[in-house]
Amino acid sequence: MIVPEVVPAITVSLFLPALYVALIVGFIALLGISFQKKDVHALILTDIVGVAMLIIVAAVGTDLAEALILPGLVVELAEIMAISEILMSREMRKTGKKVSFMPMPIKMDMEILKTAPNFLSLVLIVYGIFLTGFTGGAVAGVGILFYALARKSRGLPFQLWEGVSGISGVAWCIWLAGFLILFVAPEIWLLGLLMSSFGILLKVASKMGLIGVLGREEFKRN
Amino acid sequence: MDIATLGGQLLGQIPLGDIVLYLTPFNLFMFAGALIFTTLIAISRTETQVEAEFGSLNDNEVKVGLKEFKIRRFLAVVCGLATAGAMITGDVFNFTLLVALIGIVNIGIVSAVKQIDVLNAAFQYGLIAMIASLPLFGGAAIILASTGTLSILEIAQLSFTTPMMFFASVLLILGIAGETGIAPFYATKAEMFRTPGSPFILIIHLSSLLVIVRAIEILLIINKPF
Repeated sequence: MIVPEVVPAITVSLFLPALYVALIVGFIALLGISFQKKDVHALILTDIVGVAMLIIVAAVGTDLAEALILPGLVVELAEIMAISEILMSREMRKTGKKVSFMPMPIKMDMEILKTAPNFLSLVLIVYGIFLTGFTGGAVAGVGILFYALARKSRGLPFQLWEGVSGISGVAWCIWLAGFLILFVAPEIWLLGLLMSSFGILLKVASKMGLIGVLGREEFKRN
Repeated sequence: MDIATLGGQLLGQIPLGDIVLYLTPFNLFMFAGALIFTTLIAISRTETQVEAEFGSLNDNEVKVGLKEFKIRRFLAVVCGLATAGAMITGDVFNFTLLVALIGIVNIGIVSAVKQIDVLNAAFQYGLIAMIASLPLFGGAAIILASTGTLSILEIAQLSFTTPMMFFASVLLILGIAGETGIAPFYATKAEMFRTPGSPFILIIHLSSLLVIVRAIEILLIINKPF
């Protein structure tokens, strides 16, 4: 009835064990959190609970469940970033010290960081545009991230960074409009598909601007 | 238990592909209430907290700076819109997503304050909200697994209820309770209300109240106890 007959019986029988595994993982993570004394450790252990959530959703294994996994993952990431940010600002306020956004264990003053970033990030971005969609956006985003990390010691062009964040916002709106077209006017689905795919390419590629690099003081020097 | 018994007359549907919104007086009333409160917040200004100083006759004013005020107002408006969306949605999946959004935004509203104890409370609340995303999304996924659909209109027409659906409902209500910080988890949230900047803090309260009412409607529709 609920499960179509084309699905083999062994796949169906895997649902309950997966559910039990997820609940056990969640329980172990909760035990770990309750034993912890340090806040950082509790935060890291909380991520295991998120993994257990992904196991439950993945156990369902339909396309609707896939649609649940992605927002679940994003919510989990957004929450862990927000909470670690709170933890950092609390500790900074307690001790009165500032912490760098991307702390490096050693002083990275190598020749390759001055010559390579332009070329490597260009290759990554071009390959990402060639791939298009979510994967392409991720590859191009790695290129931009690499550029930012490599040029960190010399200071980033702040104006350009603000432009990247603006592009990200506009691309997101195009993506949303494309999806709205798919729902409201399914006849012109091709336009909606193209709008959302190119929107998400630009959006994921330029996501760096949105994960808080922009707001940091250390990037404001030119 | 069908939709008309709980929410009054079924006024209409908005079909958007496979996402179908349904309108009842109950939904529309809470939707309009959340929107009105959001508008009030968008046009209001923050209060200034006045504390009496110990050992002297002076007062100590805790003001909110313009930059912080703008961020906080934006997040409060987002929280209000997410609440309004959770009131009108006809889909368990969208409901869980909007509840998770409310949880994140609630942390964001208080994350920019300078008091250490408020940051402490926000950290504890954030941990609970993250843990609660397991039962929240897990409950939605098990409802999907045991009914085959996430649309509330479809679930209302099912003739059977299974123990798995009941288990999923228990998980869902646990998740919503943790994500919005109501009764058993209220201690993590209580300190957050001491933040200066009152009208924006109130949306945290209002969103959790409205969401819990809507959640009870959805759970009654899923389980059909009467």
